[in-house]
Amino acid sequence: MIQINQLAKAFAISKNNKLSDSEKNDVRYGGDRFHSVRDVSFSCAAGEVLALLGPNGAGKTTTLRLLSTALQPDSGSVLIEGQDVIKKPVQARKRIGFLSSSTGLYGRLTARENVAYFGRLHGMSENELNHRIDELFTLLQMHEFANRRADNMSTGMKQKTAIARAVVHSPKVVVLDEPTTGLDIMTVQTVLDFIRSLKQQGTPVIFSTHHLDEVAALCDKVVVINAGISAFNGSLEEFRQLAPTADLRQAFLQVLNKEVA
Amino acid sequence: MWQVYQKELLELMRDKKTLMFVVLLPLLIFPLLFGLMGLVMSNVSRQAEAEEHRYVIIHAERAPAFADALFYHKNFKKVETDLTAAEDLKQAIRDDKFDVAIVIPADFDVSAENLNQSKWQLIHNSSSQLDMISKHFNDLLKTFSKKLQQDKLAGLGVSSDKVAAVLEPVTVERINTAESRENIGEKIGGFIAYLLVPLVLAGASYPAMDIGAGEKERGTLETLLICPISRSAIVLGKFFTVLTTGLVSAALTVISFGGWGYLIGSMAGVDVVAKTMETLGFIDLTLILALLLPLSAIFAALLLSLSIYARSYKEAQNYIGPVTMVVFMPLVVAILPGVELNWKTAMVPVLNVALSIKELVKGTIDYLLLAAVLGSTLLIAAAAIAFCVSWFQKEKVLFR
Repeated sequence: MIQINQLAKAFAISKNNKLSDSEKNDVRYGGDRFHSVRDVSFSCAAGEVLALLGPNGAGKTTTLRLLSTALQPDSGSVLIEGQDVIKKPVQARKRIGFLSSSTGLYGRLTARENVAYFGRLHGMSENELNHRIDELFTLLQMHEFANRRADNMSTGMKQKTAIARAVVHSPKVVVLDEPTTGLDIMTVQTVLDFIRSLKQQGTPVIFSTHHLDEVAALCDKVVVINAGISAFNGSLEEFRQLAPTADLRQAFLQVLNKEVA
Repeated sequence: MWQVYQKELLELMRDKKTLMFVVLLPLLIFPLLFGLMGLVMSNVSRQAEAEEHRYVIIHAERAPAFADALFYHKNFKKVETDLTAAEDLKQAIRDDKFDVAIVIPADFDVSAENLNQSKWQLIHNSSSQLDMISKHFNDLLKTFSKKLQQDKLAGLGVSSDKVAAVLEPVTVERINTAESRENIGEKIGGFIAYLLVPLVLAGASYPAMDIGAGEKERGTLETLLICPISRSAIVLGKFFTVLTTGLVSAALTVISFGGWGYLIGSMAGVDVVAKTMETLGFIDLTLILALLLPLSAIFAALLLSLSIYARSYKEAQNYIGPVTMVVFMPLVVAILPGVELNWKTAMVPVLNVALSIKELVKGTIDYLLLAAVLGSTLLIAAAAIAFCVSWFQKEKVLFR
């Protein structure tokens, strides 16, 4: 179970940075700071898949970075199984599996070496690590390119490696930032199957996406972030019901329009 | 921390650019440099030795013995001219009609009875570094003058065994307290530092850019930051990687310098190199390496801080470029005449190490000053590392 309460994060703006007209009207710009995340709250229980939706620049990536402890929030809390992530970030990281929007692989290391490196950083023993790598490589169909350097991999291979790296330490919560962006249909299917398998194992999964078909196929919960606040937070069914036709795209636009109005 | 260190080293070892800067450059620069030095020097002197100088001699009939010696010298070739005035001869040389003109006064008299001093003119372009014309001319004139002196002294009744006492009543034996090592060290000590320090910097620069800004650019930094290790451990792992490459570069440079210097010095007979290598011992080389250790740490911390701050590899290059210029300044000061290692210069980073290396090569190092240099450099290195670690904790640096 992961609980996020009233998360907020602002960044300093360079004095040399001149704001455009649209930026001047953006409520998130205040003084010399940009309030990227202002008030985001949601929770995701064991075995649930939560979709984080929102237009570009809404604050999704910052929210995910706050969950993953890459950034420190200005206020609010993140609890994983009751433990405060902000107060004890190093311990919390053992429980989180995070996939950033870029695959973030070391080009001169092979798929196996990339995954093993992060396993070791999570304190896994060599035996444990080898067993887990074999398990993941089978699940994600990676044995074929296990010893290929990341620089020589296709986008799909890289994404599979990045996913294996994110979950090598069997995290309690998995956070994925746009995991299917730019992938071919076969790889997208593998990634979605993998998310399903995590769900079946009872692992809460939070992932940001722009693909509403993936939301419909996988998710139990939906959170829409707009201008740094969680504009919608509810079940997939509640989200559907926002639109008269139960169309997810309409529902999404409905949330954004409501916010604007 | 060591996981990060091992992984960074593994990745760097698989990178051709790193191998070039850290391994190949230090290994090959000395054979290339020494080889080039030997080649250029031997070629220049061979060419100069074989060069033929076209000459004219005015009033040759007044000194036939000298004119004959000149005529039969292998490096001189006689050219006929009607010119006699000094200005005309100078212009003819500028117009490349001949290379040298020797003007003997019309009243010059070789007879023993003539006791007047004669003033000859040697007109030529002496801007060449080797100036072989003057050398050959002086050799011939010396022989000619010696014969004249003996004849004139004999005419004055001085017997041949007294000639030396008349011509040179006092001779001085010069005893130089500077050992040959000191002389050589003074000449090339600064140059060695000038070569070693930039190589250490070059050895650390590329890895620093790769594992700092490069990591940001590839998007791997974020994933590293969410691993259950402290940011201090991450940055120290990176710091030790950059330090290692800088030191490997320095060690290979010293080994290459020692090895190739000995080989080329003894086998190819490049005198300066051979003499230098004879004077430098194992302890000197070890001390040079010990001086480079804290200096490498300063470079590693500084370069890594700049690289981590940069958003991209290219931006890191823009920051690191000026650092190279700043490092060169004290190195240039170190080779200036009169700049010596003292309590003041011992506190100036880079300059102190360069001057210490110079003193070590000369064999005149003051070990108390050497300890001060090591101490001050270590202190600055510790401060630089502390800064680098605290710099890596800042979100505004990591997520610019």
